[in-house]
Amino acid sequence: MTTDSIDRPAAAGRLATARPLLYHVLLCAVSIVMLYPLLWMLASSFKPDDQIFNDSSIWPSSFSLGAYIRGWTGLQVQFGQFFWNSFIVATLSVIGNVLSCSLAAYAFSRLRFPGKNFWFALMLGTMMLPYHVTLIPQYVLFLNLDWVNTFLPLIVPKFLAADAFFIFLMVQFFRGIPRELDEAAMMDGCTPFQIYWKIILPLSVPVLATAAVFSFIWTWDDFFAPLIYLNDMGSYTVQLGLRSFVDSTGKSDWGALFAMSVLTLVPILLFFLLFQRLLIEGIATTGMKR
Amino acid sequence: MSVALPSEATSRDAADRTARLPSGAAQAYLFLAPWLIGFIGLTVGPTLISLYLSFTNFDLIQSPEWTGWANYVRILTNDSKFVASMQVTFFFVVFSVPLKLAFALAVALILNKGLRGLSIYRALFYLPSLLGASVAIAVLWRQLFAADGLVNQLLFSLFRIQGPSWISSPDYALWTLVVLSIWQFGSPMIIFLAGLRQIPQDLYEAASIDGASRRRQFWRITVPMLTPVIFFNAIVQTIDAFKAFTPAFIISDGIGGPVDATLFYTLYLYQEAFANFRMGYASALAWILVLIIAAFTAFSFLTARYWVHYDD
Repeated sequence: MTTDSIDRPAAAGRLATARPLLYHVLLCAVSIVMLYPLLWMLASSFKPDDQIFNDSSIWPSSFSLGAYIRGWTGLQVQFGQFFWNSFIVATLSVIGNVLSCSLAAYAFSRLRFPGKNFWFALMLGTMMLPYHVTLIPQYVLFLNLDWVNTFLPLIVPKFLAADAFFIFLMVQFFRGIPRELDEAAMMDGCTPFQIYWKIILPLSVPVLATAAVFSFIWTWDDFFAPLIYLNDMGSYTVQLGLRSFVDSTGKSDWGALFAMSVLTLVPILLFFLLFQRLLIEGIATTGMKR
Repeated sequence: MSVALPSEATSRDAADRTARLPSGAAQAYLFLAPWLIGFIGLTVGPTLISLYLSFTNFDLIQSPEWTGWANYVRILTNDSKFVASMQVTFFFVVFSVPLKLAFALAVALILNKGLRGLSIYRALFYLPSLLGASVAIAVLWRQLFAADGLVNQLLFSLFRIQGPSWISSPDYALWTLVVLSIWQFGSPMIIFLAGLRQIPQDLYEAASIDGASRRRQFWRITVPMLTPVIFFNAIVQTIDAFKAFTPAFIISDGIGGPVDATLFYTLYLYQEAFANFRMGYASALAWILVLIIAAFTAFSFLTARYWVHYDD
């Protein structure tokens, strides 16, 4: 890998014209290596079963939808049920995260109250705490509330702003909104809630959308919490549904597994295509992970 | 009317201000209420209870039985699975994080050349990171490195090499997870790119007037100016690598096989808690993880002053 940092316009001479081409070749090679597995999975989901293991091409020689049909109906519960479950959980999580985190972020960024710095520091502190510490007592709590095998353990924490990271993200954004707007609104007799609802939120669409999209994708992708809290196949999310494919068929039906894998990635891919810019800027400015 | 307006506004404002002093705080706490309830009920409370449970035997059915330091003593002196899972986790951290960051930085440097199609490359390279956590990708990986999987097919058709069964071989299984982690170099790459943009171009101009070679410019300008970003990426990626779970769970059938070669620490913790129902023991494992991550973070911040370069 070359390590130079800038093209020197004068000194580079002949090389200057060759170099961009070289870089493009290099980057294309990396892209192909990176995307090949994904494309191969997509292709394999359309291949007849006997071709998956003898055919490394990413263009199936004959198309078959058999794997999709087998996958959709292959378990005791139809795969559509898993999609519905995931959709409910992810959508409610988005609503919960955006509402509860923006309320907290508004208080931290716009209101003055005793104890503010104390709470803010604690909030930042929770971002460092690995979830394993709270995992077991939370499980015991939800078990005692009789919430295991319902969606409540997956959703209720989101309405209690458990993802402190989003609060931090919103605080940073809200701070950039001119204070004069609040003051003018207050002059006109707005309550803090009206300022939050009618001024801050409408001006914060980019950050709210970033939080919403990441919130959806992370919840959709989440495997650990559903694994712990959902035991009944009827309540499985898509990730658990996929996992039961690996388990239930001793000799896995790879075609069906790939077909359903492709389907579970579709919502994420759609968000990626629609909000690519937002996601990349979110990562670049805040260092969000995953 | 026009004369009355300002005075009306100021008088209302003044009245409001006096009335708001006590109620202002209450109002603020109303905004904060959802977070506060969650913070106390889902974080502070459980953290304290977890600490308590780590000193007990607890199987979910009978009430916790206090055993003092017994869990910790057993973990640290007489638990071969703990040792195995620590080795797996450290191996993973030590190999996946530096390789991933090096790759991310290399690609970011090339993308920073102002090539055409930057946004397309950036999006393509970021895609695996975004998909990374899902079961579908772990399933795909399991197939790629299976005995008759795509990797071996390609090895055979290109080089006539008969590859091993990567996933079920204790020597290679963990490496497949390292490769999966490197494949997801997209998000550190994007952060590196943002960092590279911040480096003032006149530094390079001045350096090349002074006749500094590109290599020298890289080591004397790019790397030092980028150290805060390198530091940030290294911390985030390391903490994340300590917490890796889903791919190991799927690829190893949930048990960390073959012969504990992919028994990640989190996987061991999960087994103890939710397969063996040793909740007290698992709590102690969780606290040891916290201490390790905290020690690592503290160590990083302490050493950072010697190599992380801040502008001011």
